[in-house]
Amino acid sequence: MVKLKINNQVLDVPEGTTLLDAARSLQIDIPTMCHLEGTGHFTSCMVCLVKDARNGRLMASCSMPAMEGMEIITDDAECQESRKASLELLLSEHVGDCEAPCQLVCPAHMNIPLMNRLIAAGNDAKAIEVVKRDIALPAILGRICPAPCEAGCRRKQLDQPVSICLLKGFAADQELNKGVVPVLQETKTDRKVAIIGAGPAGLAAAFYLNKAGHQVVLFEKNEKAGGDLLQIKEEVLPTKVMEAELASILNSRIQINYNSTIGTAEFEQLQQAYDAIVLAVGAQADLWKDKGLLLSKNGVQVDKTTYQTSIDKVFAIGNALRPSKLAVRSVGQGKELAWVLNEWFETMELKGYPSRFNSKFGKLSEPEFAEYLKESVDEKRWQASRGKATGFTREEAVAEARRCLHCDCRNPESCKLRELSDRYGAEQRRFQYDERFVIRKEFAPQNIVYEPGKCIKCGICVRLTQQYQETFGFSFIGRGFDVRIGVPFSESVEKALEKTAALVAEKCPTGALAKTDTEEQL
Amino acid sequence: MTEETQHIIHWVDEIVQQKGNTKKALIPILQAIQNEFNYLPEEALKHVCETTEITPENITGVASFYSQFRMQPAGQHLVKVCVGTACHVKGAMQVYDAFKRHFKLTGSEETDAEGKYTLEKVACLGCCTLAPVVQVDDVTYGHVTTDKVGSVIQDFESQVGKVGNKSKFRHADGSEFQGEIRIGLGSCCVASGSEDVKKEIERTIEGTGINLQLKNVGCVGMCHQVPLVEVIDENKQSKLYAKVKPNEIADIVNTHFKSKSLLGRVRNKAYNLLEKLQTDEVWEGVDRYAIDVRDEMVSSFLDRQLPIATEHRGVINPLDMDEYRSYGGFEALQKVLQMNRQEIIQTVKDSGLRGRGGAGFLTGLKWELVAKEQGEKKYLICNGDEGDPGAFMDRMLLESYPYRVIEGMLIAAYAVQATDGYFYIRAEYPLAVTRIRQALINCREQNLVGENILGAGFNFDIQIYEGAGAFVCGEETALMASIEGNRGFPTIRPPFPAQKGLWGQPTLINNTETFAQVSYIIRKGKEHFNAIGTENSKGTKVFSLTGKVNRGGLIEVPMGITIRQIVEEIGGGVQNGKKFKAVQVGGPSGGCIPASLYDTPIDYQSLIEVGAMMGSGGLVVLDEDDCMVDIAHYFLSFTQEESCGKCTFCRVGTKRMLDILTKITSGKGNKKDLEELKYLADWTKKGSLCNLGKSAPNPIITTLHYFYEEYEAHIEGRCPAGKCTEMISYSINDECIGCTKCAQKCPVEAIKFEPHKKHSVDMNLCIKCDACRQVCPVDAVDVK
Repeated sequence: MVKLKINNQVLDVPEGTTLLDAARSLQIDIPTMCHLEGTGHFTSCMVCLVKDARNGRLMASCSMPAMEGMEIITDDAECQESRKASLELLLSEHVGDCEAPCQLVCPAHMNIPLMNRLIAAGNDAKAIEVVKRDIALPAILGRICPAPCEAGCRRKQLDQPVSICLLKGFAADQELNKGVVPVLQETKTDRKVAIIGAGPAGLAAAFYLNKAGHQVVLFEKNEKAGGDLLQIKEEVLPTKVMEAELASILNSRIQINYNSTIGTAEFEQLQQAYDAIVLAVGAQADLWKDKGLLLSKNGVQVDKTTYQTSIDKVFAIGNALRPSKLAVRSVGQGKELAWVLNEWFETMELKGYPSRFNSKFGKLSEPEFAEYLKESVDEKRWQASRGKATGFTREEAVAEARRCLHCDCRNPESCKLRELSDRYGAEQRRFQYDERFVIRKEFAPQNIVYEPGKCIKCGICVRLTQQYQETFGFSFIGRGFDVRIGVPFSESVEKALEKTAALVAEKCPTGALAKTDTEEQL
Repeated sequence: MTEETQHIIHWVDEIVQQKGNTKKALIPILQAIQNEFNYLPEEALKHVCETTEITPENITGVASFYSQFRMQPAGQHLVKVCVGTACHVKGAMQVYDAFKRHFKLTGSEETDAEGKYTLEKVACLGCCTLAPVVQVDDVTYGHVTTDKVGSVIQDFESQVGKVGNKSKFRHADGSEFQGEIRIGLGSCCVASGSEDVKKEIERTIEGTGINLQLKNVGCVGMCHQVPLVEVIDENKQSKLYAKVKPNEIADIVNTHFKSKSLLGRVRNKAYNLLEKLQTDEVWEGVDRYAIDVRDEMVSSFLDRQLPIATEHRGVINPLDMDEYRSYGGFEALQKVLQMNRQEIIQTVKDSGLRGRGGAGFLTGLKWELVAKEQGEKKYLICNGDEGDPGAFMDRMLLESYPYRVIEGMLIAAYAVQATDGYFYIRAEYPLAVTRIRQALINCREQNLVGENILGAGFNFDIQIYEGAGAFVCGEETALMASIEGNRGFPTIRPPFPAQKGLWGQPTLINNTETFAQVSYIIRKGKEHFNAIGTENSKGTKVFSLTGKVNRGGLIEVPMGITIRQIVEEIGGGVQNGKKFKAVQVGGPSGGCIPASLYDTPIDYQSLIEVGAMMGSGGLVVLDEDDCMVDIAHYFLSFTQEESCGKCTFCRVGTKRMLDILTKITSGKGNKKDLEELKYLADWTKKGSLCNLGKSAPNPIITTLHYFYEEYEAHIEGRCPAGKCTEMISYSINDECIGCTKCAQKCPVEAIKFEPHKKHSVDMNLCIKCDACRQVCPVDAVDVK
């Protein structure tokens, strides 16, 4: 047995135990990427560095055996900095998008590629579920949204962007036609939220807060819900569609009071009676100045991540912050605020809406078009033959959804590089001085995709294919910075993974080897 | 199956038959295949996988790891431009670019359109005193400048077709002659009186039939040794005499060409003479400008030195065992065979000998650790994988003192009870391999290697393993991985090789130089050795002294000698009266020590204190014309290329540091880049897995520390030394005499041909090849 200290806890471990295993026996977490139980240590990624306090030396805990008298520290500022540094180096050569550009551009951050795949697969129910995670008014937005997502769509570089907006409308219409199941959740909480204004922002906030089980009361000055939506022409947004969608939201535990104007006195009462008040009053912030709210030059002044105004418990979203024609932004803010409030109610801590780490590489180069087309179809953008207000037919929707290039990563949740970059606040662009690698995608049976640009050269696939005695397997090719993982004798990935395809894809710590049919975000 | 494939398969079968069908035969098999086909045909590799236990993964990984192996056929002839440190500071990259232009190569092309020449950079040919050096097949050209590229190829082609018969120089009438004498007629030679020498030669050889060819040989950078006389005997062995005076001519001529009847004897004598030379340019490849830079006339070159590893330098014929014995060879072995093992180890320990490979671990302690381990077998490895691109002492020791190194290994093997030994020698050192191979045969005949050595019941056999080109294999775990037939990936220590080394068995690895010092310690006594050097660094250290120094070469000095003493007293100071700026110690792992620390003593501790390290022992002298940022960039491009690519900090860290340095040296850097460079240097040092990565930032750290103002100057858009091509421009000053030499040399017509007028450089066309400056007889070309 060997006696050592880890984070000041004394322990005895059998000789040969790695520092990683020793730490884990104390429930001390040390991150790893290149390490895989049962394949022998390799010591490549270096995110598991720990420090021996006796000499200040850093070492890879995944492979360093515990030795008598060591005084290991696993998480001081220097260890954390080492992780950030190694992650930033890995990110500097990482060519891949965690999330597709369309999704990043979308003010509501909708998971567009996933919706596209579900529509293409005919899975309407899941498609609308995915849409509604971020967009409370998809049928309406599917008709009126100026679609910034389409401006961000990579397909635009090849021919024309995917018709995302119409696809979202299509998904929503399918549900509306079938009849939306009302959200009549049992009250989970006794939290009460007053929302002033039943326009897109207020409705979205109400939708998600209701879903989370809070009591929501809407105060609308008009006799109808919809706010600015009511101004839109019939040929763009048929009343029938709008009413159906609004009804589907209000057909729930949400209470709505029409024709109610909130004056100073009412506002004070609301503050007494509710846990939170949401101002979704549209572009009329000036009216709220007298009620004690500080304004910015565009509207109500709020904290950008929590939407809190200068008054405690009072929040503001939508055009109240800044006049805009983008309903999707208001809808997105409604969702975000609902998250903030829900967290606040649960934890008593007011936290901003989280922004996750996203690897980005920018534009495609021309030779890369073909790589992305491997997973798509070479067809022109479809128009809605029945007109935009009516939307795509099923055939059109499926054909259009298939045009998606699937720029998003297939391992957005399991990718350790993303998770750790998030955790340690790594910046991708910090050490990007050189041109990036050219993207390649290789597809193999069992829905395997190999994208060398996302590889961190940890060698797990090499070790696994070796262990399972693949005829070809994967091999390190070249050395130094130019080292890559490839198949011997220029054979295909299919040949490399005759026995181990699923296993190797599962164990890859990034999205370099992934399964295209496992939807981690479903 | 095509005829070609059949041919390949036939050869592969034969090679496998010879080398074996196990994984450890992999690298030797690949070397043999490449030797046969000049590259590795895929059919051959596939066939190896079919007939041996070697897997496709294994063969692909290994073949692509080592720089020796080529996956594409090369041209008929291979032009290797040495880009080692000494060559770099003397303009190797410009020479490389000149060859590229000569062969009309663009982009990453390596082979010319006719498939005749393939151009390659090579890390170090280990003949640093001849820098810049170019090897065309087996012919080596020293002091190659950009304007000499054409003549190198011309000269080489004049030799082609004479293969095996190159020595037969002929008169125009077809009759054979004995040899040739060449006199340097460069301007420096002429200025130093070579005309008188020439007349004296003509007088001496009158009527002897010796051809006298006047050729501009000497003035290729050796101007401090003029006049130069090169004598080439019938056996195509050449010798260059420096600082020749007319009254020495008769002796020189008589040494080489006495009379017809004595020819045979002379040839033998010349051969032996060459074998004994202490210079780094004597090996079988060099037959163009083999220059004796030992500079026999200058005794101070030797005065300060203390030969232990190089004992009896210039006296011993490397392979003559009787001669080695007559100077006390193998006495130490005899002695230890009578000694108790612990006593041997204690002696080595007490002597204070520390590993000469760089890290300086106490040798005796290492032996003790191996000795106390139990294993089925114990291995011993002599690390001769000298990859430092500015050092050649291992090569020298292996070539010149094979028996001394073997004796050291035998003593160590006996002490730690190892039975199987390996010489791990770089593939770039073919003569060292040949010598050691012959030396081992001779030792085996004398029962010095093999079973029951000298009847003492001691069994120890040694085989040679040729490295395949990977600097990282100097690292002991990577070296062992390579012997085992793997990619040279280092692994974490512990386990140390002493515990689990080659094939999991206890293994002793020492550097060549360490082994070369062992017999001395045993023979002369530990006290004797211990008395040399400083408190913590005992004995001597061999260095290759190169760069901008008057007398470069291999030197062995007592520890504790100062850098100033080495450069000024042994090296004769900086060349061309320039100012000493820094000395780069320890190659890519070492650092640059500035003039302000000129009096730093050379020992392990002092070097580390100033941010450098002993490394393998390269000493490259830099003068005021050297740009320190460029030097840092140079070393980083080396380590980046040589990184094995395993751990993130080294694989990506060295690349990103190089990116920043490239940015700075091309005038695009900013303050932030300097901070990031420092950050990456610190983290690459702290976070890398092995010592290659951990020490790779040293050249950056020391130059940032001692020459920060040069980095700042680059950021402000100036390269003070005028080295960084993207930041400099060429112009012609009023000294111009209108001789048109520059215009004739300019490869891109950036200088107009205007006789008797002041010339000018069109910077829009100029490619900064430096040819004009080099050719200008009046220093009229300014670089700013």
